[in-house]
Amino acid sequence: MAAPPLIDLERVGRVYATGRVEVVALADISLQIAAGEFVAIVGPSGSGKSTLMHIVGCLDRPTSGRYRLGGVDVASLDGDALARLRGRSIGFVFQAYNLLPRTSALENVAMPLLYQGVGRRARLERARAALARLGLEARAGHTPAELSGGEQQRVAIARALVTEPEVILADEPTGNLATEQGAEVLAIFRALHAAGRTIVLITHDPDVAAVADRQVHLRDGRLAA
Amino acid sequence: MIVLELIRLALQRLGAGRLRTALTALGVVIGVAAVVALVGVGQGATSGITARLQGLGTNLLTISPGGAVTGFTRGAAGSAQTLTLDDATALATVPDIAGVAPEITSQQLVVAGTKNTTTQIVGTTPDYQTVRAFEIWQGSFISPLAVEHGLRVAVLGATTADDLGLGAEAVGQTITIGGLPFEVVGILQPKGSLGPFSQDDQVVVPITTLRHAFNSTDRVRTIGVSVDSVATMDAAKAAITALLRQRHGLDATAEDDFTIQDQAQLLSTVSDVSTTLSLLLAGIASISLVVGGIGIMNIMLVSVRERTREIGIRKAIGARERDILVQFLVEALTLSVLGGLVGTALGVAVSAAIGTVAGWGIVVSPWTVLIALGFSVLVGVVFGVWPARQAARLDPVVALRYE
Repeated sequence: MAAPPLIDLERVGRVYATGRVEVVALADISLQIAAGEFVAIVGPSGSGKSTLMHIVGCLDRPTSGRYRLGGVDVASLDGDALARLRGRSIGFVFQAYNLLPRTSALENVAMPLLYQGVGRRARLERARAALARLGLEARAGHTPAELSGGEQQRVAIARALVTEPEVILADEPTGNLATEQGAEVLAIFRALHAAGRTIVLITHDPDVAAVADRQVHLRDGRLAA
Repeated sequence: MIVLELIRLALQRLGAGRLRTALTALGVVIGVAAVVALVGVGQGATSGITARLQGLGTNLLTISPGGAVTGFTRGAAGSAQTLTLDDATALATVPDIAGVAPEITSQQLVVAGTKNTTTQIVGTTPDYQTVRAFEIWQGSFISPLAVEHGLRVAVLGATTADDLGLGAEAVGQTITIGGLPFEVVGILQPKGSLGPFSQDDQVVVPITTLRHAFNSTDRVRTIGVSVDSVATMDAAKAAITALLRQRHGLDATAEDDFTIQDQAQLLSTVSDVSTTLSLLLAGIASISLVVGGIGIMNIMLVSVRERTREIGIRKAIGARERDILVQFLVEALTLSVLGGLVGTALGVAVSAAIGTVAGWGIVVSPWTVLIALGFSVLVGVVFGVWPARQAARLDPVVALRYE
């Protein structure tokens, strides 16, 4: 591998101190993901997938080891710098979609650009383009409550894409969807990967994980071979 | 500008829950309205009283006899009769004095045709008109000639003329005062009452006439002196004091046997009192402003709790702590400023209504409005910062999991 990995986890651990008991959520994770890869992180519930996603997504910091995103050590960043890095480099897709209620699809997709200081007109234009890429132009004015689950997840993917992030981080993106709609969403990820995007997919479902090029298995907070 | 976007966001949010917004802002509305209205009413009352006191005569000094001292007991001011007509005549020589009007009074029955009234008859000199700032409505005031010859002429106060059923045509008619015929030479413009004593219910006659007709003594009740300007007031007061002491043969250790009342002093005392009073009222009213602020804080805390997930989402997609802080602070500020604006309008309306009824007009200084609005901004910041910090400091991982 010539280029340095985009995502570089080096013996990463995460320990939660709840009262007197220390809970080890992650231990000794070393993982490299290069730009343009499509990786699935697979594990049963309680295996530490979500914790790993939070660390990779810069929502949380490791308690041991080192995590570098695009060559930057996240330990060196303060909260605001981390937020900036998150906004610029990561696009989140959640199981529960996490769209803002009572807010149109267009406004939802445009929101990340607000925090990058993009002007309103440019924001809405880029949001409209992102929705169009996912075939949702006609749904731009609808609020999440007026959309089907599959449509909501596509809006969420549009929101993740609108900032042109380096990584799309998807946490059980098909978990709340019917099989057919789930397949549709996975097809979108394949297409994005084909267009050169780096995608990290977190799931408990081996069938879902199968769409990725590489699978990483997680069990009890450790990587399984 | 991201702040402008956050203001837009806050307005959308507040617009979405109008009833809640209105009820939350109501506390501030009431607080600001109470402050603005009470200060407005206080200022109105002050200017009303001031205007009336000024109507009593500008630069006026009123000299009254001192209290009689019998043994160790001092009687009320005026109980001794130490001022004489000659004192008044002598005062005219004091520099800086524009007019001297000695007054003798007597209660008499006044009859005009079939109507009658019992009122105060004031015997004085032509200077009375300038000293007490009366305007003539009809005819003329008593002349120096009338005083010199003790002519039976009378000038009627506006209320007295009304009571007697006399109008403009009364000038030249004859009325009887205490059984004696007098010719009406003039009628005064109404001035309004000061406390229970109406300055419009009186009949003015030459001082000499009153003495001959009803009262033989040369002791006067008061001497009104009008001074050239406020600047020479103190000098004039000192000169009058010196002259009267000398005339009354008081030695250096004796107390004055007269009192000099200063109109300007009275004026500033009255306006001091009413300013203090309206500040006190405003202080009490501002308590409700604080209560309104607590209402805003309460709703903002509820709002942060309700929107924990939204905060988590915003943070996940790149919002910094500052962005969240500003968003919630702007919401609190919008609530309080909205309340401040509505409250100001309400307060101005209330003080205008009271001012119109009480007759001093609309008195709302722009300062009152600015300070009230400033306070509502302050309330928004003070009571908005804490909930906004709570929101800004939420851990995104925890916030995203929040149901």
